[in-house]
Amino acid sequence: MPSASNPGPVITETIVVAPSAPVRPSWSKWVRITLLVVGAALVLAFPTIAPNPYILSAGVVILNYAVLSTGWNFMGGFTGYISLGHAAYFGLGAYGTALLIRNFALPSFLAWFVAALLVAIIAIPVGIAALRVRGASFVIVSIAFVLILLLVFQSWRDVTGGSEGLTVPRPFPDLLRPEHHRVFYYLFAALLAVALAVWWIIDRSKFGTALKSIREDEDKSQSLGVPTTQYKLIAYVLSAVFVSFGGGLYALWFGDLDPIFQFSILIGSYMVLMALLGGVRNLFGPLLGAVVVGSALEYFKLEFGDTQFHLIATGILLGVVVLFMPDGIIPAVKALFTRSSNQASIREVTAGELLEENRARSAETVPPRRPDASGEETP
Amino acid sequence: MESESKNLLELHDIEAGYGRAALVLRGLSVVVPPSSVVCLVGPNGAGKSTVLKVASGMLVPRSGSIRIDGRDVTGDGPQRMLQNGLAHVLQGHSVFREMTVGENVMLGAFTVSDEKVVRERVEFVQNLFPIVGERWKQLAGLLSGGQQKQVEFARSLMVSPKVVLLDEPSMGLDPKTTAKVFEQVARMRDAGTAVLLVEQNARRALETADIGCVLDLGRVHISGPAAELLADPTLADLYLGGQPSSGTDASTRS
Repeated sequence: MPSASNPGPVITETIVVAPSAPVRPSWSKWVRITLLVVGAALVLAFPTIAPNPYILSAGVVILNYAVLSTGWNFMGGFTGYISLGHAAYFGLGAYGTALLIRNFALPSFLAWFVAALLVAIIAIPVGIAALRVRGASFVIVSIAFVLILLLVFQSWRDVTGGSEGLTVPRPFPDLLRPEHHRVFYYLFAALLAVALAVWWIIDRSKFGTALKSIREDEDKSQSLGVPTTQYKLIAYVLSAVFVSFGGGLYALWFGDLDPIFQFSILIGSYMVLMALLGGVRNLFGPLLGAVVVGSALEYFKLEFGDTQFHLIATGILLGVVVLFMPDGIIPAVKALFTRSSNQASIREVTAGELLEENRARSAETVPPRRPDASGEETP
Repeated sequence: MESESKNLLELHDIEAGYGRAALVLRGLSVVVPPSSVVCLVGPNGAGKSTVLKVASGMLVPRSGSIRIDGRDVTGDGPQRMLQNGLAHVLQGHSVFREMTVGENVMLGAFTVSDEKVVRERVEFVQNLFPIVGERWKQLAGLLSGGQQKQVEFARSLMVSPKVVLLDEPSMGLDPKTTAKVFEQVARMRDAGTAVLLVEQNARRALETADIGCVLDLGRVHISGPAAELLADPTLADLYLGGQPSSGTDASTRS
């Protein structure tokens, strides 16, 4: 029997100080940096190479989608709580900005900030209520919230203008249309950059790791001491704020708001679908999804005119992606490149080792249930 | 068991159950001395896992007391128990499969705010379980069952627990890997962490343990040095793989 009073640690292993597992080949870092630089250059050069203002405005729409989807991914990607009702914050951000400018004569971009702040305050009680439930129930609650807001903004005509819509004063009244698009294109790009940067920082933080553990198993995460309720709420509010910024900027750009569009389930679904398409666990997943789905939507709208065909076509596109790349485009493409690389075997011992060990053991006279004290090694 | 002060963990006269249903534990007492492996064995339904749930604060006992290092901590919830120095390794596979080994281990240190302590613990668990360092950046779900178990052990050790509660560490593992897991349990003990172990694989577990407790009907039926329990022919016949248990579910007795 092993002695219970053995005081000192008996560690006979070779010491592994640094976790230096070379999982990724070293060129991968340079591939990433190159992709990042090329991608950023393409985004920044787009207004210059866009052939006409219409295409440029499509670019603005796609960047707007990218902001919304990346904003959604603060919640959906990190915690796995799928909200189909984030259009609520898109609408609130847009209407908040518009109403603050119209009714309180705030400067456009101050109104934009104040609206996001108000959205954060609203998102706290809503989040506390919605996050009490998980899974499908959370999805339903999130949809209910956006539908309620739709009814309120349609019916409360005195304030919101109801279905007739609400015009938003332009922040740059002197600009001609193409210039207006160009300026907002860069504003959206800057907002997207901020959202991506914050997501990236969280992704590598202890906070982010805790959020991801909630995504995998909330109870287990709690048992390790993660304050899951607070963390989910922080992610939810952060997500709402970025979506609100996206909505507010949309209001300033487009200049005309209608509840049926601002609080539509469709907008909320687009955010989810774009993020899923690109890959919710990847920084650039939602952006990529927005580029693909956004371009497709714009193209189909152009092609099929004012019908609902663009929705069918988008649906088919998504079906194909979900079928062949269930984790999204980015993980699928990554897998293509890393498939043949050095994924070590998960076997703890090889058959040869096992044989050797057994042979050695049978040669000894000690009882068979005392294997030697070496750790598990894979050659 | 006589001198109370020198035990790390003491469960005294615990009564506990789920909801309004019958009691699962009926006056159970278990003690864990420092640097020892205490193993609870017994038939299904004897209340083995419930003992761990009570100790880790997941289930608050109806009566009885829990002491850690002589301090009364009865009624503390899971997070307090973690701070009190009890880490619970749940049954089955409990790594976060889609996260890296490193992230898993670092989550174990979530409640530890001192960066220096965290670094020391990382080094400590990497020495104890070399696989943790070797596979630091790989997804934990890609490891084999035995390796995942080591990640779980490492994660639980990050809070520098006084006692680690292990619920059926051999579940779902082949005999060869099971042997290794128990070897690692012994190494945790040798490195200074006491272990309270629940195990179906009773004979194997008692070979590793210092003290064995046979549970039946919610109390400790017999306890003593593990080697003595192993040597007892009646016990071996009853609980260590003689006949399968029957009619011993605690709830049938209420």
